[in-house]
Amino acid sequence: MAEMFSTLGTWNWLIFGFILMALELAAPGVFLFWLGLAALLVGLLSFVFTPSWQMQLLMFAVFAALAVPVWRHFARGATEASKSNPFLNRRNEALVGREFTLEKPIVDGSGTVRIDDTVWRVAGPDAPAGSRVKVVRADGASLTVAIA
Amino acid sequence: MTGFDIFAIALVLLVIVTLFAGIKTVPQGYDWTIERFGKYTRTLSPGLNLIVPYFDRIGRKMNMMEQVINIPEQEVITKDNATVTVDGVAFFQVFDAAKASYEVANLNQAIIVLTMTNIRSVMGSMDLDQVLSHRDEINERLLRVVDAAVSPWGLKVNRIEIKDIVPPADLVEAMGRQMKAERVKRADILQAEGQRQSEILRAEGAKQGQILQAEGRKEAAFRDAEARERSAEAEARATQMVSDAIAKGDVAALNYFIADKYIKAFGQLADSPNQKIIMLPIEATSILGSLAGIGEIAKATFGESAASAAAAARRGSVPPAGPTPPPPVPPQR
Repeated sequence: MAEMFSTLGTWNWLIFGFILMALELAAPGVFLFWLGLAALLVGLLSFVFTPSWQMQLLMFAVFAALAVPVWRHFARGATEASKSNPFLNRRNEALVGREFTLEKPIVDGSGTVRIDDTVWRVAGPDAPAGSRVKVVRADGASLTVAIA
Repeated sequence: MTGFDIFAIALVLLVIVTLFAGIKTVPQGYDWTIERFGKYTRTLSPGLNLIVPYFDRIGRKMNMMEQVINIPEQEVITKDNATVTVDGVAFFQVFDAAKASYEVANLNQAIIVLTMTNIRSVMGSMDLDQVLSHRDEINERLLRVVDAAVSPWGLKVNRIEIKDIVPPADLVEAMGRQMKAERVKRADILQAEGQRQSEILRAEGAKQGQILQAEGRKEAAFRDAEARERSAEAEARATQMVSDAIAKGDVAALNYFIADKYIKAFGQLADSPNQKIIMLPIEATSILGSLAGIGEIAKATFGESAASAAAAARRGSVPPAGPTPPPPVPPQR
């Protein structure tokens, strides 16, 4: 065991890094890549000076932990709603801002509108059937409307 | 191996395990709920997400795509006590992963049972005929009821469709017979109506024909009568004129007319090709006697020359008195 770690060297770190990066492609999770990057960094630093194998392991651990905030910084754009289809799986949010005709009057704060051949329940100020309403907020399956 | 060695190895393992636990990739179409010490805190949307390891835990992986579930077959008794077998499908989509995860246990089962009971109540309030012909209305009513019922669960039922409505076999057979009987009845009625119509048309045609014929006859009779009236009038006028003439002149003029007509008639008799024996009434001969009067009139009118010419003509063509039977002619064949 100790020998396995003590024989860790520059080249091994680099190889380990590439293997991790390749594994990332095989099993996407996007953090094997960062571990690989950490391993590469350890390998490159081993060229500059020759840390003990324990030091190398600690450096790897630190770089791996540091990768998280770095990765978050770069990944921020990606985790936000995708640009080409921001409402994928969020049909309710796509309705915000659109105007519809009340199918049933809003009584005591709830009524219905017909959208895309199905019926949506809406909440809002009381209004007679047939009046135009505008969706101002989508909260789950219920839409909040204002009179347009 | 020193403690530091073990520490270094353990730290690397810890970091790697922590990273594995803290970095979560949520695939598109899913929302994951996060529980901190077992209590729901937030929802992860698709993409890369970080959670705090050791505190946070992935709760439910909620499918946010529209899903379809089969509503299993069930027997429904309609208002008029027919038992039909019904099944269907329901389409729903989760919009609030937290509610769908924690407000209801076994979401699909809940939707299925809810839909099934509502199918029973909606279809149980309708007659079999209505059930079979008002599928849209059933779907609509189901959708409203079920959608309202599932709203606390953060999901929306977009559509409920009744797939099959199967009445029992004997009922289907009876319905088939009923339909056939109805068609046969319609055909019979149509045929009878056609016959009636044609009979009526025919009778009307005959009636019209007779009326037209009668009208024709009436018209003809009117015209005939008119003609007779006219001829009578003309006759009367002629008679009047003759009598006027007589009144003004000689009675012998009358004899002229009679003799003239008589001779013409006689001439016609004589011309008859197959009748050469002519019987004349005795009185007729006396009429011929009046011809003598004609001569006198002629004498009075045209003078002596005309009288002699008339006498000559008399000698030639008309026997002086009495009919002389013409010589017998052998039959032509």
